[in-house]
Amino acid sequence: MRRRSLLLAGLGGAGALLVGWGVLPQRSRLGRADTLAPKAGEFGLNGWIKIGADGSVVLAMPRSEMGQGVHTALAMLVAEELGLPLTRVQLVDAGADTLYGNVAMFVGSLPIHPTDSEPGQETRGVRAGRWLVGKVARELGINATGGSSSVADAWEPLRRAAATARGQMLGAASLQWRLPVAELLLADGVISHPSGMKAHYGELARMAASTPPGDAVPKAAADWRLIGTAAPRIDIEAKSRGEAHFGIDVRLPGLVYAVVRHCPMLGGGIGSVKAEAALKLPGVERMVRLGPYAGSTAALAVVGRSSWHALRGAQALEVEWQPRPAGPLESAAILQSLEAQARAAAATHGGFVFHERGDWPAALAGAARRVEAVYRAPYLAHAAMEPINCTARVADGRVEVWVPTQVPGLARALAARVAGVAEDAVTVHVTYLGGGFGRRLEVDFVGQAVRVALETGGRPVQLLWPREEDITHDFYRPAGVAVLQAAFDGAGALSGLAISSAGDAITPRWLERALPALAGPLEMPDKTTAEGLFDLPYGVPHQRQAHVATHSGVPVGFWRSVGHSHNAFFSEGFIDELAGEAAADPVAFRLALLKSMPRHAAVLQLAAEKAGWGQPLPAGRARGVALHGSFGSIVAQVAEVSLQGGAARVHRVVCAVDCGIVVNPGIVAQQMESAVIFGLTAALFGRIDIEAGAVRQRNFPDHPLLTLAQTPLIETHIVPSTWPPAGMGEPGVPPVAPALANALFVLTGQRQRELPLRML
Amino acid sequence: MELSVNGQRHQLDDAVAEPQMPLLWVLRDLLDLTGTKFGCGVAACGACTVHVDGQPQRSCVLPLSAVAGKAVLTIEALGSAAAPHVLQTAWVAHQVPQCGYCQSGMLMAAAALLAKNPNPSDTEIDAAITNLCRCGSYPRVRDAIKSAAAALRAAAPARRAAPATAKRASA
Repeated sequence: MRRRSLLLAGLGGAGALLVGWGVLPQRSRLGRADTLAPKAGEFGLNGWIKIGADGSVVLAMPRSEMGQGVHTALAMLVAEELGLPLTRVQLVDAGADTLYGNVAMFVGSLPIHPTDSEPGQETRGVRAGRWLVGKVARELGINATGGSSSVADAWEPLRRAAATARGQMLGAASLQWRLPVAELLLADGVISHPSGMKAHYGELARMAASTPPGDAVPKAAADWRLIGTAAPRIDIEAKSRGEAHFGIDVRLPGLVYAVVRHCPMLGGGIGSVKAEAALKLPGVERMVRLGPYAGSTAALAVVGRSSWHALRGAQALEVEWQPRPAGPLESAAILQSLEAQARAAAATHGGFVFHERGDWPAALAGAARRVEAVYRAPYLAHAAMEPINCTARVADGRVEVWVPTQVPGLARALAARVAGVAEDAVTVHVTYLGGGFGRRLEVDFVGQAVRVALETGGRPVQLLWPREEDITHDFYRPAGVAVLQAAFDGAGALSGLAISSAGDAITPRWLERALPALAGPLEMPDKTTAEGLFDLPYGVPHQRQAHVATHSGVPVGFWRSVGHSHNAFFSEGFIDELAGEAAADPVAFRLALLKSMPRHAAVLQLAAEKAGWGQPLPAGRARGVALHGSFGSIVAQVAEVSLQGGAARVHRVVCAVDCGIVVNPGIVAQQMESAVIFGLTAALFGRIDIEAGAVRQRNFPDHPLLTLAQTPLIETHIVPSTWPPAGMGEPGVPPVAPALANALFVLTGQRQRELPLRML
Repeated sequence: MELSVNGQRHQLDDAVAEPQMPLLWVLRDLLDLTGTKFGCGVAACGACTVHVDGQPQRSCVLPLSAVAGKAVLTIEALGSAAAPHVLQTAWVAHQVPQCGYCQSGMLMAAAALLAKNPNPSDTEIDAAITNLCRCGSYPRVRDAIKSAAAALRAAAPARRAAPATAKRASA
């Protein structure tokens, strides 16, 4: 089924209603002054900002800090508008109001092609689709940190909220002093007048709260003093003293500890359990059976005096594990099946078409030369450094949860379901996240923690997964296979490009487990595992990109850069192959295909220039390049590589990025370094194998991460932009593997089409 | 038994703090010193690194019995906001942490390195800092260690870095 006909079918019934509702403006994102529950002495100005008596500015922070610097970036937007030093903005948990839902993340889930959506040149269809999804997302109000969307989402509403607060402050001073606003000065949270009048925000807050804001507009770019600077992150000092509190660091009076042990076979169950020996161990209190929560595998939890006592108890359980009812999962067989389905789609022009232009079958039939390659990628684990954990207390009909989560509202909903209380009776405290990468968009462990907390007599319980449980019971980046085909015409020009891919759909499975209210009977096409293949910027006249969405039964989830994470390896490896077929320089070949995509071309050129592309290298070294757009940003990387003892040694990675307006270039560089290292781990080592239903890898010794000694020099160069900010948490990941593989090809003459890359 | 952490003596309940209980969990769950992190439980990631008599040790596999009579130093006493360790100053200057979870272990490993080698080469840093970081703070860890080493050498060219750490441990 084609996308257009499917959308039309959906619109047929509800169309008239939708159109009527759709033309109304999006619900305001300013929020009311009481949304933030001001404490004594505080004055709320809107749903985002309240002012303390001492003049401190308190910002409602709905997004989770998992290393990406979002707390700093969002606080910077507010500090800028309010004319405050960044250190004077204090953060509080935003809470559960739908005001704090992430709109941009849902808008970003639309399958939009870059040629239809370059900033300023969006097609009417793209604009209408984004408008509609934005309205729906605003109504739903789902708070999530993901999809590299936080700054893009906050950019307008947060600056407007702060500008409104500023307008009220100035208005209050003007009324109080009977002086025109235009004569007032604002610096460091103090409003003054040349006549000597002076007051800080705390002194004006009461009056400001009842002063109409007028038509406050955010500052013009020329007036920015903070935005665009590498301001120090607000979380760095605490994190350099061991004082930052992660979920695992929650300590409460009477706290007990629980450790989880799942059925080793994904989707398996638990039969009889002999717990006598475990329960006799000192410091071990009880065992709790855990059914599947939000997609998890059935498990047992042992409660004890410390995590170690609980762990020892969990290990001492003698358990009869039950296999998955539908049969044990096998990753090798799944990959074979994916390849067969991708090959069949290529042969029959099947699959769901995400993008089509020109006439691919005709281009193929008329080709003077054809190229075809099959690329493969394995399952991957997130392996965030902070092991999975959640602390819960169920007492007096109320549930309190302390959790490192990317989705506090979904955690709240599941906690309420498990405890059998209304959502209003649940409070979720979001701690720092010791890494997220998409794993903490899942709420399985929240359900488990609340279930155990129902058994501990009102005492809080901290539930922890040992590292082995994390690696073996993740929601994995799905495996993927793609058949890539190209046609060259008689003149030797690239005339056609077709990609047929197969892989498990992520979004429908995630909705089923984390947001069941939105999981419909009709499975909408899911772009998440096709992205990075259908949305290429290259101006090839005849194109067809189709995807076969599968459902293997392996728990799959969002993994930093999602489909782009492997699809960029497929597409940019293949483009490099085509450059070779055309006997063209890889950079020049790409640039020739980017004539109508100037932003992409500029990013590629900047990376090539800074990397010294084309200039001689020491003997034994080679460069490889890759270009990839994702989450609204464009990244090019040039990897400089040699072989040492049969292994790839990456010396330097030069990165260029266009991510729109840059709020904090220091964080942009930091995220690029992060992404390169994350991508190198995946390219060199990343794989999850499932054998006889169980994941083979268990802990860092057999699931290695890149080490400091293996880390290359990483340089980041930013293309200046005046377009609104786009994503930065993920877009640096996709080009890493293809840049490395393309360099290895230059070194060895061998084209690697499977991840992780082989030793040579 | 009695345990000395950051210069303070703690009397532990022997019924709970069994001799084979790893130091990590004694620190975190019995003493509520949560700056030291659990990452893998098999001494692979280094998030749990502390100093025992000045030596870096992975506390997740170090039984309590092995530290009897020894001085344990954790991140909580490496430095303070008022008097940061030279590495902590460098960590802030280089904006090293991202999620921050592995950073206590990184800092303790780096502090042990500088204590015995005030001018580590890249190769020596590679060998000493085997801690894992999923966010990829490595390039800044390396730069910050070099900055801190340079600062130490500039401040006390004739003195070794070691006494500062050892003194704090026994203070």
